[in-house]
Amino acid sequence: SPGAPISPAEPISQAYSLALYMQKNTSALLHTYLQHQGSPFSDPGFSAPELQLSSLPPAAVSFKTWHALDDGERLSHAQGAFLALTQHLQLVGDDQRDLNPGSPILLSQLGAARLRAQGLLGNMAAIMTALGLPIPPEEDTLGVVPFGASAFERKCRGYVVTREYGHWTDRAVRDLALLKAKYPG
Amino acid sequence: MALFSVSKTAFLLAFLSLRTYQSEVLSEPLPWAPESLKVSVNTTSQSLHLQWTVHNLAHHQEFRMVFQIEISRIKTSNVIWVENYTTTVKWNQVLHWSWESKLPLECAKHFIRMRSAVDAAKTPGPRVWSSWSSWEEADVQNSLGQDLLFVFPKDKLVEEGSNVTICYVSKSHQNNISCYLEGVRMQGEQLDPNVSVFNLNHVAFIRETGTNIYCKPGQGDGIKGTVLFVSKVLQEPKDFSCETQDLMTLNCTWDPGSDTGLLKQLSQSYTLFESFSGKKILCKHKSWCLWQVAPESQDMYNFTLTAENYLRKRSVHLLFHLTHRVHPMAPFNVLFKNVNATSATMTWKVHAIGKYYTLLCQVELYGEGKVTQHNVSVKVDGVHLFSGLEPDTEYLAQVRCANGDHFWKWSEWTHQNFTTVEAAPSEAPDVWRNVKIVQGRCVVTLFWKPLSKLQAHGKILFYNIVIEYLDRTSGSEVLSIPAPASGTELPLNQCSSQIRITASNSVGTSPASVLVVSREPGNEEVEEERVKGTEDGFPLSWNPQPRHVTGYLVEWCEQPRDPPCDLQWKNLGPNVTSTVVSSDAFRPGVRYNFRIYGISTERVPCLLARKTGYSQELAPSDNPQVVMTNLTSHSFTLSWKNYSTESQPSFIQGYHVYLKSKAGRCHSGSEKAVLSDVPCVGWLIVPPPQQITEIISILTYFCSFEEGKVLIKNTTLFSSPAPTLIRILLPTVFCILLIMITCYLKSQWMKEKCYPDIPDPYKSSVLSLIKSKENPHLTIMNIKDCVPDSIEVLNKQEGTRKSFTETESTKPTYLYLLPTEKRYSSPGPCICFENFTYNQAASDSASCGHVPAPPKAPPSQLGLLTSPENLLKALEKNYMNSLGEIPAGETSLNYVSQLASPMSGDMSNLPKNPPEPALCSEYKMQMAIPLGLASPPSSGSSSLSSITLLDEGERYH
Repeated sequence: SPGAPISPAEPISQAYSLALYMQKNTSALLHTYLQHQGSPFSDPGFSAPELQLSSLPPAAVSFKTWHALDDGERLSHAQGAFLALTQHLQLVGDDQRDLNPGSPILLSQLGAARLRAQGLLGNMAAIMTALGLPIPPEEDTLGVVPFGASAFERKCRGYVVTREYGHWTDRAVRDLALLKAKYPG
Repeated sequence: MALFSVSKTAFLLAFLSLRTYQSEVLSEPLPWAPESLKVSVNTTSQSLHLQWTVHNLAHHQEFRMVFQIEISRIKTSNVIWVENYTTTVKWNQVLHWSWESKLPLECAKHFIRMRSAVDAAKTPGPRVWSSWSSWEEADVQNSLGQDLLFVFPKDKLVEEGSNVTICYVSKSHQNNISCYLEGVRMQGEQLDPNVSVFNLNHVAFIRETGTNIYCKPGQGDGIKGTVLFVSKVLQEPKDFSCETQDLMTLNCTWDPGSDTGLLKQLSQSYTLFESFSGKKILCKHKSWCLWQVAPESQDMYNFTLTAENYLRKRSVHLLFHLTHRVHPMAPFNVLFKNVNATSATMTWKVHAIGKYYTLLCQVELYGEGKVTQHNVSVKVDGVHLFSGLEPDTEYLAQVRCANGDHFWKWSEWTHQNFTTVEAAPSEAPDVWRNVKIVQGRCVVTLFWKPLSKLQAHGKILFYNIVIEYLDRTSGSEVLSIPAPASGTELPLNQCSSQIRITASNSVGTSPASVLVVSREPGNEEVEEERVKGTEDGFPLSWNPQPRHVTGYLVEWCEQPRDPPCDLQWKNLGPNVTSTVVSSDAFRPGVRYNFRIYGISTERVPCLLARKTGYSQELAPSDNPQVVMTNLTSHSFTLSWKNYSTESQPSFIQGYHVYLKSKAGRCHSGSEKAVLSDVPCVGWLIVPPPQQITEIISILTYFCSFEEGKVLIKNTTLFSSPAPTLIRILLPTVFCILLIMITCYLKSQWMKEKCYPDIPDPYKSSVLSLIKSKENPHLTIMNIKDCVPDSIEVLNKQEGTRKSFTETESTKPTYLYLLPTEKRYSSPGPCICFENFTYNQAASDSASCGHVPAPPKAPPSQLGLLTSPENLLKALEKNYMNSLGEIPAGETSLNYVSQLASPMSGDMSNLPKNPPEPALCSEYKMQMAIPLGLASPPSSGSSSLSSITLLDEGERYH
């Protein structure tokens, strides 16, 4: 990109490596989370794709739409999603500290996922800086809505967050692979 | 009829007038009717909350009133609850009332109305109600939100075993919604088209994090659910107890029982309430709580401990006097003073409990494997004297205390160690010696055993040795051997001496052990006896000594094969004459030598007995190294000089020498078990003299000799018996001769009985008759004049004694002998008889068994066998063959006749100077006269019969 202060290849490579590393752990996180919630979440093959959170943008997008995005839009969507994910992972961590206080493995995995999402956010910001793109401001995506949720709603909420965390990580790997091809080191 | 009509009209008018009156009364509002009724819903507690006021209540007016409350569900006509609530009402008061719904309030609309009446308990007559208030609606469904499906109640907390009602509310008008409890579908009932209700009976605890209940439509819109937190039933606290250590703070403890199994924020809490003071505290812990005592103002305490969670309360009570619950703190500052060899003083301090209380303290002392216990009363400082202690011994002392006035509990122990100081050793060391003469000088080696801890009374530093020579020509010698030596070697100027040994520690010296050494070694001539070891050791016994002895001593070496030998000894009393020596060092197959001494009153040891034995005998570990010397054509000498029987793992009882024929076979007397696969011709056990130097001279032929790994081959042997064999052979020969004589006498007896001698014509009665007739022409042949002319050799089957009538197969062979002088001395003619008795006697002797038949010999040696010497040699040889059987078909020798006439066809074999046949013919003729006596067996074909052999034509002249 003309006018870029530094080469975007390095932050793209770093972000790509981190996204790949995150990708390896997302299914384990989702599995651990579901196993701690009881039936129906812990039932084999549990899936509820219709469960969504209004505060968390879904990662699912048609390939045509995704392909039509330019680099800035693609990075902006991912940036917004991981920003929301970091806040939601914090919320889910707090929920599980109440609901499953005796499960340190789950709590540590949720904490680790949140830190990695924050790391990827930083890497993306570096890429956007390198590409000369504007960095979207941080927003409070959660608001005040979630605090009145029941235990079951919090379990569902955590499921959606951990599921979308995996989906967004998969999508980020694709995004960054595309960028990596475009800006080879 | 008219009357009936009039009365009917009057009744109707009266009735109508009454109704009018009543309606007027009722239509008038009651002065104290409820008004401003407001209904609110608490979904957390699933309860309806009502508040209202009372109309027209005068200032300062106060009534006791009853409020009748009606609750309808879904529609006003469906009344599900009616309750009369009685309370006292004041002016301007807002009244409250709550009702908890079994059905989640979100599941259906509820309608509430009420009316009031003055409490009629004090006023007789029917209660007069006010009019009903209007229906108030409680509808939470309007505020549910935008979702299409809801499940209620949310996050409900119930106790295990209770009944719960669950419902879902659907806004999508779908009927195919299914609901599940932990994956199991629930069957419900439809409350209205959008609401279904599920009744759960006796819900069970599943997990701490709650039980998931969820519903999902047949398609779309995901799942909705709720979590039911099921708590275990709260248990009553057990073992509630309070005690104080210092009369300042009470520590109350209890057992909370099993956990309710809920999340921490939902679990139970504990509160402590004291009724006399009215104080109440919330305990921070589940099983204990601290209570500050009001000093000197309260002695009695009445506690109520309450366990409480959202669902239940449980309480226990405890009433006690403070001073009866004193559990003192452990004593401190435990010290020891005036510690000497046998006593020590222990002091300690206790934490004060008020001003007027005495503590009872318990003191325990551990040492030398024993425990002693004492009780001491203490106000502030405790003191106790331990006495009767062992010197130089570490002790452990511990002390604990309790309230002496009202015992409740002992305090914890406080421990402290101390060690008594040393004292002089109490016992003389146990000493023994070994005396040897080196270059004409006595050298004594002293051994002593270390004193036990109880004897040493401290660390032994030196062993002091004083040597006093008994002839007093030399002065005393004093030596000091530093510990931990256990012996020393001392060259003595003179053998006769007295040695005194003492042990010293830092405090003093032990009594002395006295040994007397003399040049004479003692009774070394005592014969050594064998002793058999057992699992328990070596049982040793000896004869009591007539002289007065102060004791006995047994010495032995535990390592007899090693040069230091590890000398051991055992002291025994004067009345003991047996003991068992046992040691872990005893090993099987090792010879141990024991010496038993009597110790005289002068301390002089005298050897009484020597014993040797094995704890367990083992097979010999190695064979003798055999050397063969002096090999001649017929003898050799085996020797094994260097074979040490002492070092063998058992007593050597003898040596097996096996003699093996190269192509031979074993004789029946050989040691088959030992050398079953080795054909051998002989063996013998050589008794064990102390040093076997030579042995073996054996009359036999053999090709090799084998004993263990010793093998001698291609040895040609000898004929001269060695002295050992002579000792064996001479008695054998004597026995054989005795048997032969016996057999001979027997045969003579048989002959006399069965076949008497040929009658002597000179002694015949016939002769007397002839003489009486005075016939001087008759002459009688003198049998001594007959000359023997041949020996008959018979081939005879062994063991078959044939009668005279069965001798057809016997083929006589004649060996002609030279005539003896006597036989030739009578030249006159005679008739010879064959002496069958003699023949039979020879056959008998051959079957005697005790007399071995001579072996088959070449014909050239047969002549030699006729002499007694040669026969003896043959017998000896047969003995050396280990009583070999007589071969079947062996040739036997029979002396047939002194005067058999050589009339057979073998005339060519006759000697050159045969006797004159005419004499024999005459005798035969003579015997022919008495037919009964002279008649031979009728078997004319018998080749043995001399009669058939005689040519009658030639004999009768």
